[in-house]
Amino acid sequence: MSDLTNKSGKKEFWKSLNDYNDDPGMQKKREDEFLENVTEEFNSENLSGISRRKFLALLAASTAVTATACSDYRDKGEIIPYNKRPEEVFPGVANYYASTCDRCASACGILIKTREGRPIKVDGNPDHPVNQGKICAKGQADIMSLYDPNRLRQPLKLRSEISWKKADEEIIAALNESVSQNKEIALITEGVTSPTAKKVLDDFKKRYATAKIYSHKLVNDESRKNAWLKSYGTKEYPTVKFDKAKIILALDSDFLGNEGNYLQNIRMFTSKREVVGKTDFNRLYCAEGRMSATGMMADYRFRVAPDQQLDFVFSLMNELNKMNPGLISDSLLKNKISDKSIYKFGDKEKLNHLLNDLNTNRGASIIYAGDTLPEEVHVAVNFLNEMLGNKTLYDYTRTIKSLIDETPSEDFSKLASSMKNGNVGVVIHFDSNPVYTLANEFGYEAALRKVKTVVSLTEEENESSAAGIYSLPVNHPFESWGDANVYRGIYSLRQPVIAPIFNTRQKESVLLAWISGSADSYNEDIYHQYLIKNFEESVFNNKNTLSDSKTFWYSALHDGMVQSDESAAESKFNPAALASVESKNNPVGYVVHLTESYFVGDGKFANNGWLQETPHPVSKVTWDNYAALSPALAQKLSVEMNDLVEVEVKGKRIIIPVLVQPGVEDRTINIELGYGRTVIGEAGKNVGVNANVLMHLGSASYILSGASLKKSSGNHLLASTQEHHSLDDAFVKEIHRTRKIIQEGTVEKYKKEPGFLHEEKENLFSITTDHQYTGNKWAMAIDLNKCVSCGACVTSCNVENNIPVVGKDQVEKGREMQWMRIDRYYSGTPEDPIVSNQPMLCQHCDNAPCENVCPVNATNHSPDGLNQMVYNRCVGTRYCSNNCPYKVRRFNFFNFRDHFADAYYENDLTSMANNPEVTVRSRGVMEKCTFCVQRIMEARSNAIRDGKTVSGSDIVTACQQACPATAITFGDANDPSSPIAKLREHNLSYHVLETTNVKPNVTYIAKLRNTHSEEIV
Amino acid sequence: MTAADFTKELSVIEGKPALRELDELISKPLETKPNKKFYIALSITLSLFSLLVIGLGLTFYYGIGMWGNNNPVGWAFDIVNFVFWVGIGHAGTLISAILFLFRQKWRTGIARFAEGMTIFAVMTAGMFPLIHVGRPWLAGYLFPYPNQHSLWVNFTSPLLWDVFAVSTYLTVSLIFWYVGLIPDLAILREKTTHKIKKVIYSVFSLGWRFSNRHWQHYEMVYLILAGFATPLVLSVHTIVSFDFAVSIIPGWHTTIFPPYFVAGAVFSGFAMVQNVLIIVRKIFNYEHIITLDTLEKMNKIMLLTGSLVGYAYAMEFFIAWYSGVEAERFTFLNRALGPYAWAYWIMITCNVVSPQFFWVRKIRRSIPVMFVIAIFVNIGMWFERFVIIVTSLSRDFLPSSWAYYKPTYVDAMILIGSFGFFFTWILLFTKALPVVSMAEVKAVVDGAQPSHKEH
Repeated sequence: MSDLTNKSGKKEFWKSLNDYNDDPGMQKKREDEFLENVTEEFNSENLSGISRRKFLALLAASTAVTATACSDYRDKGEIIPYNKRPEEVFPGVANYYASTCDRCASACGILIKTREGRPIKVDGNPDHPVNQGKICAKGQADIMSLYDPNRLRQPLKLRSEISWKKADEEIIAALNESVSQNKEIALITEGVTSPTAKKVLDDFKKRYATAKIYSHKLVNDESRKNAWLKSYGTKEYPTVKFDKAKIILALDSDFLGNEGNYLQNIRMFTSKREVVGKTDFNRLYCAEGRMSATGMMADYRFRVAPDQQLDFVFSLMNELNKMNPGLISDSLLKNKISDKSIYKFGDKEKLNHLLNDLNTNRGASIIYAGDTLPEEVHVAVNFLNEMLGNKTLYDYTRTIKSLIDETPSEDFSKLASSMKNGNVGVVIHFDSNPVYTLANEFGYEAALRKVKTVVSLTEEENESSAAGIYSLPVNHPFESWGDANVYRGIYSLRQPVIAPIFNTRQKESVLLAWISGSADSYNEDIYHQYLIKNFEESVFNNKNTLSDSKTFWYSALHDGMVQSDESAAESKFNPAALASVESKNNPVGYVVHLTESYFVGDGKFANNGWLQETPHPVSKVTWDNYAALSPALAQKLSVEMNDLVEVEVKGKRIIIPVLVQPGVEDRTINIELGYGRTVIGEAGKNVGVNANVLMHLGSASYILSGASLKKSSGNHLLASTQEHHSLDDAFVKEIHRTRKIIQEGTVEKYKKEPGFLHEEKENLFSITTDHQYTGNKWAMAIDLNKCVSCGACVTSCNVENNIPVVGKDQVEKGREMQWMRIDRYYSGTPEDPIVSNQPMLCQHCDNAPCENVCPVNATNHSPDGLNQMVYNRCVGTRYCSNNCPYKVRRFNFFNFRDHFADAYYENDLTSMANNPEVTVRSRGVMEKCTFCVQRIMEARSNAIRDGKTVSGSDIVTACQQACPATAITFGDANDPSSPIAKLREHNLSYHVLETTNVKPNVTYIAKLRNTHSEEIV
Repeated sequence: MTAADFTKELSVIEGKPALRELDELISKPLETKPNKKFYIALSITLSLFSLLVIGLGLTFYYGIGMWGNNNPVGWAFDIVNFVFWVGIGHAGTLISAILFLFRQKWRTGIARFAEGMTIFAVMTAGMFPLIHVGRPWLAGYLFPYPNQHSLWVNFTSPLLWDVFAVSTYLTVSLIFWYVGLIPDLAILREKTTHKIKKVIYSVFSLGWRFSNRHWQHYEMVYLILAGFATPLVLSVHTIVSFDFAVSIIPGWHTTIFPPYFVAGAVFSGFAMVQNVLIIVRKIFNYEHIITLDTLEKMNKIMLLTGSLVGYAYAMEFFIAWYSGVEAERFTFLNRALGPYAWAYWIMITCNVVSPQFFWVRKIRRSIPVMFVIAIFVNIGMWFERFVIIVTSLSRDFLPSSWAYYKPTYVDAMILIGSFGFFFTWILLFTKALPVVSMAEVKAVVDGAQPSHKEH
């Protein structure tokens, strides 16, 4: 084959020589390219039974199964989106409702923040003229009471469930039977602030002829009212314009701590402690036996036993009269006081200052006696104020009304005896707890057993409901309608912000159903309608307004209140009131002073973990009450902190742990009331000692003279958040001053040398270049002149930032979780300590020492100057906390929600109180103050939405919002016009531990003491 | 011998045992079945170890709250134990590496054992940084590894340096130890008749044939590794001390810490090695290999390092006063006079006073006395870390946050359990590997090395 064409004449390419030679084998191979038997061997039956389809399906399924099995998905219940969104609810946006707090006699206006229909935070109503946007620790923490797992969920009869209808029928029958048998129906309430509730009670009395209304509050202002009645002929007493007073003398009065409307008092008082602009300070003198929050603020403090107060007042009158002969014209009185000398009550120089100040500031000073002092002291004080012309400071436009008087103790005695005689058919505890609050001498609990029908309307089981038959659960105030009229001219409204969580009813509605006489008449709107009607009659009709009643109602509801310009008539002092006031000489034994607890109140809040765990403003003790003794007395008895002592008053005794409290008068034993509840939920169990048992019949039994005290065996550990050092221990003395943690001066010094604080300039340098903050730089300033250590900021922070309750055992170990604390330092002598308070929180240092030591970068700095915590990244080495010079970091040693009281707070109900904007931290994670970063972020997103730049004034931190003294300022330090920037430059501003050069961003304004010298005395 | 002949180097091995005899003696524990005493000892250490397991179980289940740590005192027994055990490890590397470089022949008898202790001590120590964290299941975050969060560790944190320092130290010590073992493993391979053992020894002896070439390479590698390990002796405890020195807490923020910590570590390491070797030489009849002279030399090192530590204590006080910083002064006065004064004085007695007895030759050479002193030293060194960590934290800058720390039963369980863990490893080591280097010991026997005199 010479050419490249084959037989067929077609040009072909050959692949091999065999091919070229047309090898027959090759031919065959070519034919057999697709051999038949190749496919013959393929038998699908021999193959695995899994088809490709099936294989892929299995693969997919197993992957899916593995993936879901590994994920932590648990069915968290159904999430149902709004099918039809309620008009006012935006998911993720909070709603605020104006309402009124129901927890004490002040009836402050509040704003309740709700998220997706559940209340999560309480703040003061800024429009309310009395509390002006502030609310106390108790009001803040009330959220936890709403979601308290120990709330009564069903009506109970003898501890077993009963339907409302059946209970109502039985009770109505019992009421009717009592009336027909002419047996008394006793309804016991705890004071009433609501005019409409008062009306319901009146209706009840009308409907059931034998009904009597009693009222008892454990701690009340009855002696003040009675004294006012004697002096001025009315129980409606005016509030005091503390903001106009130059000189204030507080006699065993904790007007900045927990007396009267202390939010208003604090605001007014601290308005005269302003260091920006004119320094026009008031001067506070305190004469007290215990060490109160007010006493800590005093410029001069005298130690006067509470049973010596009348003597003190008389001697003041005497000395002032000597200085100005003719001030007292009544010769009878002159005789009474002529032998009283003031100089036994303390340092002569200080007392002379007091006398001179009162004398020269007549008309601009006020003497203010405490609620727990007896009536006669109040009468004497009323006269003294009158004598000094100080009645100009009485605010008659804001008098305090008395809707229902405290029932005299004789009436309670009568009630108890007629209960014992079987003359009482029905006893109704109208949200009151007389078994706990009434003195043992009444024998109330035993008498209760003789009564056939005992009904307790209550939120939680208490001593009184446990001793009774029916326990009917009532709504929390946040689930209730209501109103309040405490101050003349302010009528405030309460509206429900959540439907009743349990099968509870509003207490007034229950009464209304009983009044109607038929259990079927109840409907959940019954009191609402009654309230509107009463509002129309008593408020709308008195108000000359152009709007119709409905519009007026809704606008009042929106505002939370209706104001009117009313003024009570000023009346003349009745000198006859003084006639019966006699001072008893020669006190014997010790004197027990019973005062209300700062945070658990009269025991009403005993089951609120947040409040139990808020440190006492002075002693920093949590979860307990104690006998506060002076160091000298403790030494005399050779007792120390935590030792048990036996306090005996007229045969009644309690055994209580001791706290050695500097500044207490040597005869005085101060014990707080509100503890030792026996029938209470998990949190309040076994907390403290019930000191009510020491009280006796008769009014104002808070001051018990002739007490004896002896050491008892054993001890009881008090859990304090601050170590108690002996004040005269030279080793640790005055460290807070030498380390410049606390820097103070006096007004005199400041006026002379405004720059005295920064005389010694520390030349601090850094080896690295500082980070430049060009945008916002968040910073805080705390004015120590204003802080009264009321603790509202601490609780507000707890609520805002989902701070867990850790329990007494953990506080003992120093593991409390509060992000904010108020440090208390003593200087001076144990008898006359000078107290300095300092709110302490994360300082958000520019050179934060915590940041560089975290091995995993879980804490770092934001461009706007925040020291941030990344919870997800934190492994919990605690190195950051060790390296924090302020020790403000808090470590989750346990899952505290699970750890506390067998996971008492780990349930679906309590977790509703959590702020959804703030992560709930797990165990093993470090946490600390964030400067309320969630609020900063909210302000920032609002600013972005509105196309503006975020400004410091848009942001209010939770502590700042709560502070009744406005001691806390927050804002952008880079904005020169902002208040914070000015405060940072203020002459009195300083940083704690400046020499560490960590550059904190919390500036403290040094406290000035308004004494008569340039040195702090 | 009336007049000592100072021209002649004293033999570090007593007598002149035959080389074969040494092989037999050293490999004997490996070739015999463990006796009853061994099992009793093992059961004790395992029981102690189980305390650790239970203690950790409780901690992992409930949280760090099971310990006594509180708010100012974030670190307590956890880090005290960590620093203590890292310190124990130091003697091993010092003996095997530094003394090797200095041609200290007496080290040969104790080097292997000390190295083994290093490894077990570092293993014990390494556990603590991982278990002291609040969320131990995330302890992996402490290591730099690429992750989808794009998160990196914080290289400015001394705790991270610790992670690197300790892991490097463990790795290098392990390699050094293993390389030293190769000739011995080959000897064992030759000696054993057991099939499985033979395979294991063959694999791990890496084909060692005792050839001249092997020895040459071996010596070189050993020298290089010794050179490599030497700076680690200094660096590891230096970096551990940075945990404190880099922070700003008074009592921690001290520049003297690195040398002071290294001296302390060597001090406690030698005490521990001495303690354990006294028992080992007795049980295994190694008295002529681990001689009294060797023990005396170790005591001298303890005397030196103990005095260094004592100097550091004094210098800390001086600097606190000299600096003029009030907080600093207070911290040191507080150590000596404050609520933890008891711990401070235990530390001073054990660490500063007790080693001073070693000035006396008789005490230096009395086995019971030196044993007791070394135990004191170990107690003292544990308390040194306790004093530094706990007293400084319990009373730092702000008096308001001061608090007293009290350990709980779980703290005690973990501390005791860590000893159980350590000694379990030691016991297993004595039955699994030659605790004295056969190859090296044979090289230092009198007459093993030809000298020019004999030539």
